[in-house]
Amino acid sequence: MPPGCRACGRWRSSADERRTAAPKARASPRGEGAPRQGGPVNERYPVAADLGLIGCGVCALVVAAPRGPGAWRCPRCGHGLHARKPASVQRTFAWLATAVLLYLPANLLPVMTTASVLGRESHTIVGGIIELWTTGSRELAIIVFVASIAVPLLKIASLALLAYSAQRRSRWRQRERAALYRLVETVGHWSMLDVFVVVLLVGMVHFGVVASVQPEAGLLAFGAVVVGTMLASASFDPRLIWPRDDPHG
Amino acid sequence: MSAALLPPPPDGGAPAGEQGYLLCEECDAVYRERALGSDALLRCRRCGATLARGHGLPLDGQLALTLGALVVFLIGSLSPIVTLELQGIHSEATLLEATRETWQSGAHLVALLSLATAFVFPLLVIALRLWVLLPLVLRRPVPLLAPVMRLEHWMLRWSMVEVFMLGVLIAVVRSAGVTHVVLGAGIFAYMALTVLLTAVYAAGLQGLWALAEQRR
Repeated sequence: MPPGCRACGRWRSSADERRTAAPKARASPRGEGAPRQGGPVNERYPVAADLGLIGCGVCALVVAAPRGPGAWRCPRCGHGLHARKPASVQRTFAWLATAVLLYLPANLLPVMTTASVLGRESHTIVGGIIELWTTGSRELAIIVFVASIAVPLLKIASLALLAYSAQRRSRWRQRERAALYRLVETVGHWSMLDVFVVVLLVGMVHFGVVASVQPEAGLLAFGAVVVGTMLASASFDPRLIWPRDDPHG
Repeated sequence: MSAALLPPPPDGGAPAGEQGYLLCEECDAVYRERALGSDALLRCRRCGATLARGHGLPLDGQLALTLGALVVFLIGSLSPIVTLELQGIHSEATLLEATRETWQSGAHLVALLSLATAFVFPLLVIALRLWVLLPLVLRRPVPLLAPVMRLEHWMLRWSMVEVFMLGVLIAVVRSAGVTHVVLGAGIFAYMALTVLLTAVYAAGLQGLWALAEQRR
């Protein structure tokens, strides 16, 4: 009998059948309801570990999970094989802490100075947004506000929530948390907007003493916040949103 | 050490791909690999992530789009993005000049960051894709396949052409108050590049991996 379900494409592996034949002697350590007797550990969805599979994090090749110690590499692309990104939560928190620390200078220090015959003027990120708003391009002011203020803050808050709940092995709103992670990954790099704007203004506006633009220290801090949050979200492993029943799994 | 490849799927049915398995990269749910029609999108039932995408674009179509992207990228980065005019003085700026000015103003790291994300990484994304596509179209094995594809995978995250394009628009609006601004060829080339690169990205790396493996 073919073990696979033709309708939905799922199947039971030989590993599952072994489990059915010889159920684990010890009961579930958490004592959740009736002890599971075989079948996929995760009720409705067989996961990679149930079938002894592992997916390459770079090329997505599916291979049989290697047994035994050693640094195993993907046979197709050569990248290291890990069931989960190593030290994912710790590295996410570390990059987040970096981003939070740099967030203050990024917003308090000026990102550029404009010099003209009328004198010198320093601009912060918020100052630039107010300037855009008052000079009439309100739509662009909203875009820059979202990219430079809202996205970094929401990203830091979202990643902190994701990393904390992953550390707690929480099962709270898993689908929503998965969607939140995808959102963070999608919008993350748009915060680089203000860095590009200042670099372009520095390059475009050079009329000697009449008008010129200089970059300031706040810009570096701001760029570092963006890179830090991008590295934080790259370090986070979304598979940690779905902890397995087995506390050691 | 290389991990072992898998046996064929246990149900004995003809697998769609060589492996027959498909893992959700975001939650580890296992699915059976299947052939996808063009424009088909397979989502994970458990977490909602995109599992696979049917790539309707044939190889030579992908090659054409990538070559097109290379051409507009070169136009965009070598021709002026905007020309400013103030009291009879003209000031032109290309992307490379803007980063050089920023470097000379002392903000070295910021200059490097923007040079990398708006110029070097997008160029690498295009060049590496051509490196893989050209031999595939010519039905030859791809030299250095694994390192090139891995580099391409990392570069995709850090290439920010579309953000740079929006940055140009905002910089133009912010300087329009004091000067007269004329848009250059560069900005239009960058707009075209944004569209072409989106099409190139949509084809994905999975199909290329599978094809390149066959040609080995």
